[in-house]
Amino acid sequence: METMINYDPTFAEEVFQNVDAGEEIKMCMNCGVCAGSCPLRHEMDYPPRQIFSLIRSGKRDEVLNSKSIMLCTSCYTCVVKCPRSIPVMDVMHGLAHYAIKQGILTRKLTASFGGEFWNQVYRLGRVDEKDLPRRVFFSQGLVEGIKSMLGFMDIGIRLMLHRRMKLLPEKKIKGIESMRKMLDKAEKLGKGGTVA
Amino acid sequence: MDKKTALYICTGCGIGDALDIEQLKEEGTEDFTIAEIKDHPFLCGAEGVELIKKDIEEEGINTIIIAACSQRVNYDVFDFGPDKIVDRANLREHVAWSQPAGEEDTQMLAEDILRLSCSRADNTQLPEPYAPEEEFSKDILVVGGGLTGMTAALETAKAGYQAILVEREAQLGGFLARMKQRVTLPYKELTETGAEALVNEVTEHPKIKVYTSATVEKIEGGPGVYSVDIKSNGDAVSERVGAVVQATGWVPYDANKLGHLGYGQLKDVVTNVELEEMAAAGKITRPSDGSEVKNALFIQCAGSRDPEHLPYCSSVCCLVSMKQATYLKEQNPEGASYILYKDVRTVGQSEDFYRKAQEDGNIFIRGEAVNVGEEGGKLFVEADDELLGEKVKVEELDLVVLAVGMVPASKPVTTPRIKAPADTEGADEQGMIEVLPDSGFFANSALNLAYRQGPELPTLKYGFPDSHFICFPYETRRTGVYSAGCVKRPMETAKVIDDAAGAAMKAIQCTELTSEGKAVHPRAGDTSFPEFNMQRCTQCKRCTEECPFGAINEDEKANPLPNPTRCRRCGVCMGACPERIISFKNYSVRMIGQMVKAVHVPEEDEEKPRVICLICENDAYPALDMAGIKRMKWSPYVRFIPLRCLGSMNLVWIADALSRGIDGILLLGCRHGDDYQCHFVKGSELAETRLGKVSETLDRLALESERVKFEEVGITDYERIPKIIDKFMEKLEEVGPNPYKGW
Repeated sequence: METMINYDPTFAEEVFQNVDAGEEIKMCMNCGVCAGSCPLRHEMDYPPRQIFSLIRSGKRDEVLNSKSIMLCTSCYTCVVKCPRSIPVMDVMHGLAHYAIKQGILTRKLTASFGGEFWNQVYRLGRVDEKDLPRRVFFSQGLVEGIKSMLGFMDIGIRLMLHRRMKLLPEKKIKGIESMRKMLDKAEKLGKGGTVA
Repeated sequence: MDKKTALYICTGCGIGDALDIEQLKEEGTEDFTIAEIKDHPFLCGAEGVELIKKDIEEEGINTIIIAACSQRVNYDVFDFGPDKIVDRANLREHVAWSQPAGEEDTQMLAEDILRLSCSRADNTQLPEPYAPEEEFSKDILVVGGGLTGMTAALETAKAGYQAILVEREAQLGGFLARMKQRVTLPYKELTETGAEALVNEVTEHPKIKVYTSATVEKIEGGPGVYSVDIKSNGDAVSERVGAVVQATGWVPYDANKLGHLGYGQLKDVVTNVELEEMAAAGKITRPSDGSEVKNALFIQCAGSRDPEHLPYCSSVCCLVSMKQATYLKEQNPEGASYILYKDVRTVGQSEDFYRKAQEDGNIFIRGEAVNVGEEGGKLFVEADDELLGEKVKVEELDLVVLAVGMVPASKPVTTPRIKAPADTEGADEQGMIEVLPDSGFFANSALNLAYRQGPELPTLKYGFPDSHFICFPYETRRTGVYSAGCVKRPMETAKVIDDAAGAAMKAIQCTELTSEGKAVHPRAGDTSFPEFNMQRCTQCKRCTEECPFGAINEDEKANPLPNPTRCRRCGVCMGACPERIISFKNYSVRMIGQMVKAVHVPEEDEEKPRVICLICENDAYPALDMAGIKRMKWSPYVRFIPLRCLGSMNLVWIADALSRGIDGILLLGCRHGDDYQCHFVKGSELAETRLGKVSETLDRLALESERVKFEEVGITDYERIPKIIDKFMEKLEEVGPNPYKGW
């Protein structure tokens, strides 16, 4: 006999409680506009609306282990197009945070990039264009790190020519304390919290 | 009346530039007696109209031919009172705007158009409105006392007319009274039904007479002169009414046929109607043991949109299930309601209630139920989830609700059989045959019309009384009887209220027009009616059979007994009569015959073919006008004769035309079939059927069958009409000229 999914609303409840914008998925009417407009849909294992369906049916593992929730590039197309005004992007990020908090690292590199980005912004108030990739790439190990860094050499040189990247380490911005207060507040407002 | 005819030619709108007016005056009228012939550059202007009015007063003109624009425009400007005959020759849309200016063919076309008009005016008599011996009644009978019936009665009364409301049950209210709450505008929250207040308002209104526990035993007569026998609580009452609103409502689809969804086998599988009644009575519980309901699943489209059961969508079940899920949420906020749907159809603004149902946390699953079963005292439902592409199972259910659709109360459970005339094909040993929904014998008893064509309204294929959703939503195939509410099509309460008010207004309009001897839609205001020359009647029954509105009864000897107030003046009877004994004062077989003869047919060696196009006045003619307005071009050899309905087409015209040397006959009528657009329901279909017999005529004359062609066109088909004409002309060129020319 083929496998049968047992509908179980407990995971949906878990999402509503713990995921940023999670309760918004109630409003999804499964039209598929988000899936149709997503530039990364070919890379996704489940398009956004199917993620929502899976949440409703209670397939916790499929959702939290899915690549899709980690792939969102925040292009906002789905948010603009959703006829039910669901912030699809926020839900995807919320789910990604929630998955990482549960210790599920489907795309480790994406997760560590997000974490490092946040750390750096928190520390400096800006992103250090050479420090951030260094930390992310070398998190994979020494050899992988060197390989990845060399692959980005061209971009690095061009960034320097356009004065987008300095050789010396970046300094903190002025009024970093106020900036941190804002970030702290934002963290408190969200359900998922930051991932470091 | 002694006719004194005047012809006025307008030279505005390009007519004067396209034609030689002096030649037109001379050539176009030489066969007729015309007292005055004048032209004016702006006839529809104040000065032009004044010119005509002056002639009417001073010269005693009583028949006016206006050779200007289409009959479909400026009819109000050229209205000189009911005692004048006005005829319109279309020189603008059909000549100036669609033919090249100054050419010989264009001039000949205009002359023929003028001749057609003169001939028609010659053969027109002033109609005298029908006035029966008895007095007209303007009371409205409303059959059915649900929301539709009560609203219709109330709207009638509020408009100042007497309403008579007949309800089968002992109480008014219908399904509305059995509901707990309803969803209506603005579709944000549930609303009280208001049934009690409405029943009180109706009962107490001085202009509404209510009969409960009552049935309509018989309706005899016609609009304005109906006499109705009502049986109320065993007493027989008689009433006279002017028009009828049928609001007999709906019944839920029989869930006993839905055994595959567990109905009848599992006690906790109920229909949406049963759930509603449970909710209205107080509390929703499990029917099996009376315990609390926590989790419930609604199966949408239970039997609906299924060719085996109800093939259509009832459009309300989605909202109803959301409403009932809201009841359950109020009763037990911890419970979960699943809605298993094919497509959510919350029409228009009611989408807002869908949003509310989602916000409330009801779980919508898109898919189809495959199995409903029981496990440990609880129900489960297995379904194909379309979005996950897998089978899903919902367990721990206390209640499964089947959202069954609406069936019109008029639809019989089994197809009725009636006694067929001797040697009818398909009759059984007792001589009985199954009736078609299309006939007046199909529907469940509600009106009991004493009509030869059957006691009830003919219905469409699913048993809803006939009406055209877009063009004429209230019209049925019995004049003066208007259907409203869920008997007409499934609808929710907000739409029911609108629909009931509309039907009441149509009924009032009908009584008013009838009292002036005028026709109702679509020839509203027409005072002519068919007259029968009974000496020559052969009792063939074709008129009684073919009248789409059941206007003609017959006596024991099969003589037709016309009911003028039931008539819509389409002239189908006139087209049907093989003896040609039916005619109107201003429309007759002879009139069109004379018009056909008025067309000048050039000699064969001139190589100018002539085609007569019999064109439906309701859709094809305006479409042709539109083609003219768009300055589209077509052949100058076609002469258009507008008909009230193509169903009034008599084959003798075709025979006459062809034997005079006309090269071809083109018929443009409305679409027929399931999505018919014919304003007289069956007219264009009858015309095509009759045309099937035209081959006899053609064979007798030894002519090619290609010379006669029928085309269905809609009012929006103006782009197609010139192409149809061109194609027909090409065909005629292949076939060659009619050999009867010059005979």
